[in-house]
Amino acid sequence: MEGDNVYLPHVMKIEKVIRETQNIKTFHFNFKDESQKSKFSFKSGQFAEYSIFGEGEATFCVSSSPTRMDYLEFSVMKAGKVTAAIHELQEGDEIGFRGPYGNWFPLELLEGKNLVFVGGGIGLAPLRSLIWNVLDNRDTYEDVTILYGARSPADLSFKYDLEAWEKDDAVNMYTTVDNGDEDWTGRVGLIPPVLEEIGPSPENTVAITCGPPIMIKFTLMSLEKLGFTNDQILTTLEMKMKCGIGKCGRCNIGNIYVCKDGPVFTNAQIQNFLSNEF
Amino acid sequence: MGYKKIKKDQLKTLFNELSKDCSLFVPSGSKGYVGFDPWDGNSADFTEWYRNTTIPPKALFFPPVEAMLRFRKGEAGYEIEELLPNGRPQIVFGVRPCDARALKITDTLFSDTYRDPYYLTRRENATIVGLACNEPCDTCFCTSLDISPGESQDVDLLCSDIGDELLMEAVSDKGEDLLSKMSGLSEASGEEESKAKQLGDSAKEKITRQIDTSGLLDKMRSSFENREYWEDVSRKCMSCGICTYVCPTCHCFDICDENNKKDGKRVRNWDSCKFPLFTRMPMENPRHEKWRRIRQRYHHKFEYFQMNFETIACTGCGRCIRECPVNVDVTEIIGGIQAL
Ligand SMILES: Cc1cc2nc3c(=O)[nH]c(=O)nc-3n(C[C@H](O)[C@H](O)[C@H](O)COP(=O)(O)OP(=O)(O)OC[C@H]3O[C@@H](n4cnc5c(N)ncnc54)[C@H](O)[C@@H]3O)c2cc1C
Ligand code: SF4
Ligand code: SF4
Ligand code: FES
Repeated sequence: MEGDNVYLPHVMKIEKVIRETQNIKTFHFNFKDESQKSKFSFKSGQFAEYSIFGEGEATFCVSSSPTRMDYLEFSVMKAGKVTAAIHELQEGDEIGFRGPYGNWFPLELLEGKNLVFVGGGIGLAPLRSLIWNVLDNRDTYEDVTILYGARSPADLSFKYDLEAWEKDDAVNMYTTVDNGDEDWTGRVGLIPPVLEEIGPSPENTVAITCGPPIMIKFTLMSLEKLGFTNDQILTTLEMKMKCGIGKCGRCNIGNIYVCKDGPVFTNAQIQNFLSNEF
Repeated sequence: MGYKKIKKDQLKTLFNELSKDCSLFVPSGSKGYVGFDPWDGNSADFTEWYRNTTIPPKALFFPPVEAMLRFRKGEAGYEIEELLPNGRPQIVFGVRPCDARALKITDTLFSDTYRDPYYLTRRENATIVGLACNEPCDTCFCTSLDISPGESQDVDLLCSDIGDELLMEAVSDKGEDLLSKMSGLSEASGEEESKAKQLGDSAKEKITRQIDTSGLLDKMRSSFENREYWEDVSRKCMSCGICTYVCPTCHCFDICDENNKKDGKRVRNWDSCKFPLFTRMPMENPRHEKWRRIRQRYHHKFEYFQMNFETIACTGCGRCIRECPVNVDVTEIIGGIQAL
């Protein structure tokens, strides 16, 4: 398993399964061969190829923080063949894992800045890795604001994180849902207008956003209204991936290979892509 | 590094000898199409009929289907077994200059940042014996891409067909080494050398098809938004993917598992940017429409690859023109872009 064959997966053990919502689950996992663990490191924003043997590989970010290495986490929304098989996983089951791949959130650029995290649905997965990373080094950053939204209260993922951040005096936490229900006493509203209402100042601030394409589109418009420049906005892109290492040829946007050159980009970089296929 | 020569009627003996300690591949039509097949001891007459293979030599290094690893579930859970190529030396005999260049192009990709051990193990163990072209096809346009039918620096050893004999010249150390191991060779005369040069020059003159690569990068860039153009040139394409399979530089692949959880293999297959499922994601597909996929193929070859690796990913081998069932022609597409 050592050697330099980049395509060989580590065998990982599922240690815990958390049902987040009706179609999202989070998995705690660890190296089956413990000697591999100490050799492994990753950074917030990176992804990996996870596999169910006999079903195939699929791409997910590592959703836990590199500051908390007791176990690793990934969170999966059911979307097709491999994700359906992943949702069948039980504690003790084994999966394949190769990575980490791609670039990461540039922590050095975030130091001394106010941070505004805007996440929608499963899009909180890569953000929470960075959020915990930031909170575990809280003094290095200025104000931390988190806005998280989902379609309904039942669609809110990572409720345990939301609660922890709610309680944390050093975090401005906002949660919103598109549609409430009879038990919901919190905020109701789409993410972009709520963001404009909160109105974070762009002064010495970086916004980091991740979520479904339509949410990203309107969130970027709101950030622009608030005075954020494209350099002050970080996001992650998603394209169909297979190899994760720039060889299989499917994840490019123009000459940019999202697996190798991304998935983390500033909005300025995205605007400068030569050939935007979207 | 002087020129050597061998009589064509000695090739069979030479091949039998060479194939003793290594896998030798030669052009063959035994499968119903022309490809590189293991030397079978029969006929070494390919020099008489062979212009180029249908399936390029990339298939020897990046096979259409290849098992990457085996997973087995036992009492202690999953065991992974790496299935690397066996490292046996290979000689590929009769590679055309365009295809030798193509291998250099795919080498860049498969060794960039992350080593691809499957492809590179085979490449490192291979010696490429080139064969200069005397009779290019009317679909060839290699000369537009800095490739000469009569010479090559991309092979280890280059042969030129001067009639009853093959002239041989070592190009690399590997080639020198191979040459020194061959028996049945004799010294070539200066006259024979010039004959090979002449044949090369005349082959060059026979190539009339061309693309114009000057300023192409900028032209490609500005054609990107020209939806009308891409819709127009893609209209007859059937998305069959043949052009990508026969292309010596196309390298896109898929990775999937055999459907067996207890004991199965993870397999890599050739894939194609011409297929709509290639980029299909749960919520969207950026290349759902055919014209976007055609645009991707030509932009990748003539723009993105050049930006990322400083070379155009086309060698002018003409295969995609010959094999396309509806006559989509890369030289027309590039010509059209230059004329926009
Ligand atoms: C960098 C990156 C990070 C990511 N991180 C995460 C993450 O943290 N969490 C997460 O949940 N997701 C993440 N994703 C998305 C995730 O990779 C995909 O949702 C996942 O790969 C889907 O795999 P699948 O096998 O289940 O879907 P597939 O089976 O490939 O299906 C995809 C869609 O296509 C359809 N489809 C498939 N095959 C066919 C066919 N033959 N004909 C017609 N339709 C078909 C399916 O019905 C489905 O709608 C990330 C993606 C990227 C690129
Ligand atoms: S071979 Fe021709 S028809 Fe088939 S995908 Fe290529 S261009 Fe289209
Ligand atoms: S694009 Fe066509 S002509 Fe160019 S290398 Fe590929 S198959 Fe040959
Ligand atoms: S995922 Fe294969 S090239 Fe990016």
